[in-house]
Amino acid sequence: MSHLELTHIHKSFTNFVAVEDFNLTVKQGEFVSFLGPSGCGKTTTLRMVAGFEIPTSGTITINGKDLTNVPPNKRNVGMVFQSYALFPNMTVAQNVGYGLKIAGNSKSEIDARVDEMLALIQMGKFAARYPYQLSGGQQQRVALARALAIRPEVLLLDEPLSALDAKIRVSLRTEIRAIQQKLGITTIYVTHDQEEALSLSDRIVVMSQGRMEQVGTPFEIYNFPQTQFVANFVGSLNTVKAEVSDPEKGLLHVNGVQFITATDIKSRKKGDAIRISVRPERFSFAEDRKKDNVLDCTIENITFLGSVVRIQVTIGNSRFNMDTFNNPFLELPKIGSKEQVTCSKEAVLVLDE
Amino acid sequence: MSQESATPQRKAWREHPLWNWVGLLPFFLFIFIFLILPSLNLFTGAFTDQEGKFTLENLNILSNPFTLKSYIVSLQVSAITALVGGLFGFFVAYSITHGGAPRWMRTLISTFSGLAANFGGVPLAFSFIATLGQLGFVTVFLKGICFTGADGAEVCPFNPYDHGFTLYSMWGIVLAYTYFQFPLMILTITPALEGLRKEWREAATNMGATPFQYWRDVALPVLMPSILGAMLLLFGNAFGAYATARALTGGSIYLVPIAIGQQIRGDVLGNPNEGYALAFGMVIVMSVAIVAYTLLQRQASRWTRS
Amino acid sequence: MSDKRFNFFAIFWGIAALLYFFVPLYGTFDFSLRMERGVLGFKAYELVFADPRFWQGFRYSITMAVITIIFSVSIFVPAVYWMYLKVPQARPVMDVITILPFIIPGIVLVFGLIRTFSRPPLQLTLRPWSTDILMVAGYIIISMPYMFRAIDVGMRAIDVRTLTEAAQSLGSSWFQVLKDVIIPNLRIAILSGSLIAFATVMGELILADFLVRPALGPYMVRIGLTKAYEPAALAIISYSLTWFSLGLLQYFSSRSERQKQQVIEE
Repeated sequence: MSHLELTHIHKSFTNFVAVEDFNLTVKQGEFVSFLGPSGCGKTTTLRMVAGFEIPTSGTITINGKDLTNVPPNKRNVGMVFQSYALFPNMTVAQNVGYGLKIAGNSKSEIDARVDEMLALIQMGKFAARYPYQLSGGQQQRVALARALAIRPEVLLLDEPLSALDAKIRVSLRTEIRAIQQKLGITTIYVTHDQEEALSLSDRIVVMSQGRMEQVGTPFEIYNFPQTQFVANFVGSLNTVKAEVSDPEKGLLHVNGVQFITATDIKSRKKGDAIRISVRPERFSFAEDRKKDNVLDCTIENITFLGSVVRIQVTIGNSRFNMDTFNNPFLELPKIGSKEQVTCSKEAVLVLDE
Repeated sequence: MSQESATPQRKAWREHPLWNWVGLLPFFLFIFIFLILPSLNLFTGAFTDQEGKFTLENLNILSNPFTLKSYIVSLQVSAITALVGGLFGFFVAYSITHGGAPRWMRTLISTFSGLAANFGGVPLAFSFIATLGQLGFVTVFLKGICFTGADGAEVCPFNPYDHGFTLYSMWGIVLAYTYFQFPLMILTITPALEGLRKEWREAATNMGATPFQYWRDVALPVLMPSILGAMLLLFGNAFGAYATARALTGGSIYLVPIAIGQQIRGDVLGNPNEGYALAFGMVIVMSVAIVAYTLLQRQASRWTRS
Repeated sequence: MSDKRFNFFAIFWGIAALLYFFVPLYGTFDFSLRMERGVLGFKAYELVFADPRFWQGFRYSITMAVITIIFSVSIFVPAVYWMYLKVPQARPVMDVITILPFIIPGIVLVFGLIRTFSRPPLQLTLRPWSTDILMVAGYIIISMPYMFRAIDVGMRAIDVRTLTEAAQSLGSSWFQVLKDVIIPNLRIAILSGSLIAFATVMGELILADFLVRPALGPYMVRIGLTKAYEPAALAIISYSLTWFSLGLLQYFSSRSERQKQQVIEE
C-alpha cells in the first residue's frame, strides 16, 4: 500500500513548463531523493506536495486521501527549508512547539513533545535560546525538530544542507537519516548533491528540465544509468564516439580499437554512429586477461587526488580517464609508456541521449 | 619603507593611527564651530543666570503654566500624528508590499511617498488652507452637499465649520502634519516589511497556522521594533517642526518650537536664559526619542540577522 | 489562495493614501485658479511672477542653495572618503554627528547660532554678507543627514581602497584621486544629496526668518498673512520645484543604470 502517490503531476507557468508528467509511488517509511541540477523541477515538485504550488494537472495522495487541493496549512506534512526559516521572535522551544500550539494542544502536551524532540536532536540545553544565537547547523536541526513535532505524515526537506559548511553537511546528513529511520517517517529530500542522494536514499529520482530521467536505488542509478544525463550527472563518465561493427555480437570500434559491450545493440546496423560511456573506475591494468576488453593505450597524464589516482590514457585516438585506488606501494606507469588496460563488457554502456 | 634610514622616528609617528584622524579635521572643525559650539552655548545658558553664575532657576520656566501647556500640546500633536501617521502609513506600506495592491498603485504610492515626505513647511500650510480653510476646496465641496429639508428649506449639514471644526487649531495642525508623517512611515517601514522572509510565512502555514495566526505570532512580533522605532522617528519629526505650524496658525497654537521662536524674538519673558532652558528641554525630549529609536533598531536587526 | 480578502484591504488603504496625497494638491491648484471670480485663470500666478519681492526671494534662495551644495559636497565627500579609506573606526562618531541635526532641530540650532554669533568675538550677524555665511553653515547642517547618507551609500558601492591604490600607483595625488576617480563615480549619489538639499533650502523658513534674510520662506509667510490666492499659487510653484528636482534625479539615476546595463551586456 503506497503512502504517498504523485500521479501525472504537471506544472506549467505562463512561459515554461516546470514539471512534466511526474509519477511516483512512495512506501511508508521510504526515503526518496529528488536529484538534479538547478531548474530541473525538483523543488517545484516538492512544494506541490507541501501545498505551496498547485499542480496544473495531476493528483497528490497521502494515505489514500487526495490532497491536491487541500490548503498547505491543513496537510500535516512537515517541511524543512534551505534557509532554516526559524521564527526569529521565538525561542528554540517556542519554535519547535509552534505547530502544536496552533493545533490547540495543552501546555503540558506541548512541553512534553518539545522536550522529546529536543532530545532527539540532542539540543535539550538550547531550549531558551533564540535563533540568532545558534549556528547554521544548530538552526537546521531545530528546524527539523519543529517539522517532526507535529507528527507529520510525510517529511519534506528542500536542500536543507546547501547553506552549511562541508564538514557540518556530512555529519548532519547522517543524523537526519538516522532520525528518519528511527521514526520510520516517509521522507522526500531535494538536493543537487549526488553524494548526499546516493548516501541517504532508499531510492533516487533523477530529474532534468522538468522530467523524470530515472527512478531507482542508488546502486541502480549509479551502475545502470539509463540515459546519458543520468550517467553524466551521477558519478563521472568517459564518453566517446564509436561505430557499430557487429550488432549481433555487440562489437564496436573507437578509432579502429575494438570494444565489446554487453548492452543490446541488435537493433542497430553496422556502420551506425553511436556513443559509448565507461566509468573511470571500471578500467584496470591488464593483469587479469580474462576480461572481455583488453585495450592498448598510452599513458598521458597522472593526477594524484588523494584516495584516488586519476590516470589519463589514450586508447586509439580517444582520451579516457581511469581511476584507481591509491596504494603507497603501487607502481604507477611512466608518462608516455604503452600499457594495456581492461574492462568488462558490462562496463561499456550505450546510453539513450 | 626599509629605505628610510634617515628619520625612522618621524616616520613612525606619521604611521600612528591617530594621525589618520587629522584628515577628518576640516569636517570636525566645521561641525564644532557651527553645531557643537552653538548647542553647548545654549545649554550652558540654560544653567546660567543674568550675571553669568551657575543656577538651576531657569529650569523653573518648565513649570510655568504657559510652557507646560506648550509641552503638553506639542507632545499631544507629536504623539497623535505619530500614531495616526504610523498606523495609516503601516497599512498602506503593507498594501503595497505583501498586500497585493495593483502594480500601478504600488508605483504611484512609492513615488509619491518620496515626494510627500519632503513636502512640509509653508507650502503645506497654504495647501491645507486652500483645501480645508473657510473657503477651501473640500470645505466648499462639503458645504455644497445639500438636500431640501422637511420644511422645504435647504439643509447643508456637512459644513465642518458649522460643527466646530477649524483648521486653525491643534486638529488642523494634526491633519497637516499627517500629510508628511504617513509617507515618512511608508518609506521607513517598507524595508522592514520586505525583510519579512517568505519562508517564515510558509513555515508557519506548514505548521497549520492561518494567515491571522501567522501575523499574530510571527510577523507582527518581528516587525514591532521597527514599527515602534519608525513611530518614534515620526514623533521626533513632528515635535521639532516649526514652519507649518507658524504658517498655518501664526503662532496662536502654542507649541514648543513656537514658544522658543517667541523667546528668540524676545517677545515674552525678560530673561533669555529661560528660553535656553526651553530649548534644552526640547533637546532632552528629542534625545530620548533617538536613543529609544536606536535601541529598537538594534533589536530589529538582531532578530533578522543570520 | 484566498487573496481576494487581502486585495480588498490593500485597495482600500491604497485609495485612502492616494486620496490623502492628491486631494490637498488638487484643492490647492483649484483654489489658486479662482482669483478672478467665476473664472478659472492664472491671475494669482501672474501676480506672483510680477512681484519683484518674489524674484528677490527666489534668487536669494537659489543662490544660497547652490552655495550650500558646493560647500556641503566639498566638506562631506573628502570626509566620508577619508573615513572609508583610513579611519573606519570613526564611523560611530560620524553616525552620531549625522543624527545631531535631528536631536537639535532647526529652531534650537538657530537659537544657538544667534547666541553664539551675535556678539563679539564671533559676531557674524552685523553685516548681511557675514550673516549669509551663517545661513550657509546652518543650511549645510540642516541638510547634513540627507547629504551624508547619500554620499555614504554611494561610497559604499564603489571599492574605495582599490581604486585609490590603483590611481596612486599611477602617480595621482590625493586631490587628483578625489577629482578624477572618486567624485566621477559618485555622481548620482552627489546629485541625490544635492537635490534634496536644494529642496530643503528652497523651502526653509526658520534660519531665514530669525536671521532676517530675504529668502523665499519669509516672503511666503508675509504673502500668507495678507493675500488669499497668491499663497495657493506659491504652494503649487513650490511643489512643482520639488517635483521637478526629484524627477530630474530619477531621470539621471535611471539613465546611469541603463548605461551600466549596456556596458554589462556588451
